[in-house]
Amino acid sequence: MTVSSFLKAGFLTLILVVAFFTSWELFLRSRGIKISYDDGESLWADKRAMVYEPQDDATVFIGSSRNKYDLDIETWRSLTGDHPIQLAIEGNSPLPVLDDLARDKNFKGKLIIDVTEGLFFTTNPQNISEPQDRIKYYHKRTPAQRFSFLVNKVLEDHLVFLDKNYFSLNALLDRMPVKKRAGVFALPYDCPRDFGAVTFDRQDIMTDRFLRDTVIQNQVKGLWDFYRKTNTEGLPSRHKADSILATVKADVDQIKARGGQIIFVRTPSSGPYLAGEKMAFPREKFWERILAVTGCPGIHFEDHPAIAHFVCPEFSHLKHSDAIVFTTNLVKILREEKGWRFPHSTVAIQ
Amino acid sequence: MVFNSYTFIVFFAMVLLLHNLPLPWKVKKINLLLASYIFYAAWNPPFILLLWLATIVDYFVGRALYTQPNKQKRRLLLVLSLCGNLGMLCFFKYGGFILENFTHLVNAFGINYHPAPPNIILPAGISFYTFTTLCYTIDMYKKRSEPVKSLLDFSLFVTFFPHLVAGPIVRPPQLVPQFASPRTANQKQLMQGLLMVSLGLFMKVVLADSMLAGPANTVFNSKAPLNTLDAWMGLLAFSGQIFFDFAGYSTCAIGVASCLGFVLPENFLYPYAAIGFSDFWRRWHITLSAWLRDYLYIPLGGNRKGTVRTYINLMITMLLGGLWHGANWTFVVWGALHGFYLMAEKFIQDLRPKMQLQPELVADPHIVLHGVHAPRFLKIKPSSNFLYALLTFFLVNVTWVFFRSPDFTSAWRMLVSMFSVVPKGAALLSNLSIIKVSVIIAMMLAFHWFMRNRRVLSVAEKMPWWLLSLAWSAMLILLILSQESSSSFIYFQF
Repeated sequence: MTVSSFLKAGFLTLILVVAFFTSWELFLRSRGIKISYDDGESLWADKRAMVYEPQDDATVFIGSSRNKYDLDIETWRSLTGDHPIQLAIEGNSPLPVLDDLARDKNFKGKLIIDVTEGLFFTTNPQNISEPQDRIKYYHKRTPAQRFSFLVNKVLEDHLVFLDKNYFSLNALLDRMPVKKRAGVFALPYDCPRDFGAVTFDRQDIMTDRFLRDTVIQNQVKGLWDFYRKTNTEGLPSRHKADSILATVKADVDQIKARGGQIIFVRTPSSGPYLAGEKMAFPREKFWERILAVTGCPGIHFEDHPAIAHFVCPEFSHLKHSDAIVFTTNLVKILREEKGWRFPHSTVAIQ
Repeated sequence: MVFNSYTFIVFFAMVLLLHNLPLPWKVKKINLLLASYIFYAAWNPPFILLLWLATIVDYFVGRALYTQPNKQKRRLLLVLSLCGNLGMLCFFKYGGFILENFTHLVNAFGINYHPAPPNIILPAGISFYTFTTLCYTIDMYKKRSEPVKSLLDFSLFVTFFPHLVAGPIVRPPQLVPQFASPRTANQKQLMQGLLMVSLGLFMKVVLADSMLAGPANTVFNSKAPLNTLDAWMGLLAFSGQIFFDFAGYSTCAIGVASCLGFVLPENFLYPYAAIGFSDFWRRWHITLSAWLRDYLYIPLGGNRKGTVRTYINLMITMLLGGLWHGANWTFVVWGALHGFYLMAEKFIQDLRPKMQLQPELVADPHIVLHGVHAPRFLKIKPSSNFLYALLTFFLVNVTWVFFRSPDFTSAWRMLVSMFSVVPKGAALLSNLSIIKVSVIIAMMLAFHWFMRNRRVLSVAEKMPWWLLSLAWSAMLILLILSQESSSSFIYFQF
């Protein structure tokens, strides 16, 4: 092959690759698909690095998916004037992150811990390993990884197809109609993409299509039911709950000793999901004990009429418009009932 | 930084631009050196001090070794260099391992000694650059080549970023002369380099990380006895993963160097088409096996001191080769198994001296590990050869069990799952994973067999340009679609 042949091959390759991805991007956009950021370890680490802002300037949120759906970052920012830092991780226990913050002597800020009892009181490695991996990544991330993250952000700002969960090679292959193998754990189907797009602030937002289409909502409800049926861990014993609470207390005490401010929040759920949670985790045995053992204040959605009325489209998370109402009222409760100060706020209390 | 990252793409674009500016050659070399330090510091900046220390000590010791007439002083200098290089390697890589084994030993004698774990961070690529600097000082001691004339050239030889952290392990005569006169890639070298980089990234990102790492990790991380099918699929997935990961890195390194106008030695020649184990080691991590041959096996006496010593030398070489890969007894067992295979092959070869032929020619006839040639009975006809290649592949796979398992309990559990029917053995892999592993491994074996006496660039040159472009485009499209950026290469931990 001559030099010019290699050059021709190179140029044709460039044209084919650009043509392919332009077509792919346009196709996805034509189907109404919007940008969703890869909510992996690098985005999480980027937010984790922000927790050192003074207590007056920032609030850190940990927990699971409910915090990510229910807290509207923009509303919080505009009402409080401070910086909300979302560190919650879907489907996982908040305790590894709490422990990491407790060990970090430089963290002295405000912390809001979302309590989804099934995830708060778990010791299942599947609900703990991902936070642990992300914490490890944060502490070990290299200058090269930080720079890659910045470049990746610029690309993700503009390209829909860079949604790893739904449009990566493996995600596309996973959607092929291949028969499930007997005895191997697998979801009955993928979690619908419309259930949530992720913003750069790590907020999950249900799409309009999801809110319109009850079939998709029922698919997500079906997944909750699947998780319930396949959960082999069972309910936590008194001894196990005591052990978890002792760890939480130790972590909370460390943060408070440094001047940190902590509150637990039980975010809304509804319908059969809420009924099941009430049966499995009676309030007096779990929620009340968290507050009693740790000595921290708490906000349970059922105690405050302003945030007690939500109906979750799939029983467990708030739609965006409700998240705005929830966040507005959460800030109000924090200010008026819990004595939290937001000195940078320019919005008067309603 | 890793080749499969956005950081590297930006970094490499800047290096390419600087390297092609009309600047004096010395300035370009300084640029390359600084770029190499940035490349290394992008992991963990403080460890660059170790690299500087190794470079400066070996540069001056190397010159002194070459010019010092006094034999005893030369020996002393060599010992100084060996202690410096190997001492650093031992501390960072084997410190924890040595302490752990020492603790077990004294506890066995009833002494209650329980030190805190040392928590030593392994500097990236220390095993590779230590071997690079070691071979320089040994060559100087033996006066095999001339000392490098300038500290700039020596620093660049040690630090040149394409080979710095995971090889290929280069020798001074392979790279230093290339720094003597101005070099930039011509159009053909640049396009070939870009093709090699694309191929290397495709191997690493698409095949190793995206397709095979998942099934391999699922199976090897399992704490339960496995279904036989899952055990084999997990092992085959790892077998492919480690090849595509490491050969992908080497291919990228060669391609990156080519884009800058430099040539690095080949490190892989389709090893899963090897017929026998000496052939395997002529094809797998070639620069390491050649290093071990020249700086360990031959100094130990090679095959010049009788049959028994040859066996012993083979085993010592492979045991230390195993230990080089990691501070764990499982790596030693991996090396021991390869040593045993090589010994068995030599034994069979010695039984049939009259049937011995010259080794089959591979691309580089100088690379013949341990002086053991593949026995003739392994070279009857292509169909039989293919069966022997499959047998070799099967036996190599057995060794990967020890290489990948974190401990002997896991390795044993894996072997039991592979070679017996485990009642109620766990089924972990989905049908899709099994299909992916089966298709990729079958295609890999077929491709290795087809390519075993060919080179990728010569095959590319013979293809019609539009066909090459289609293959290249497919690789890049799959690479971008994979979205598996920035994961480390397996060999970085070695």
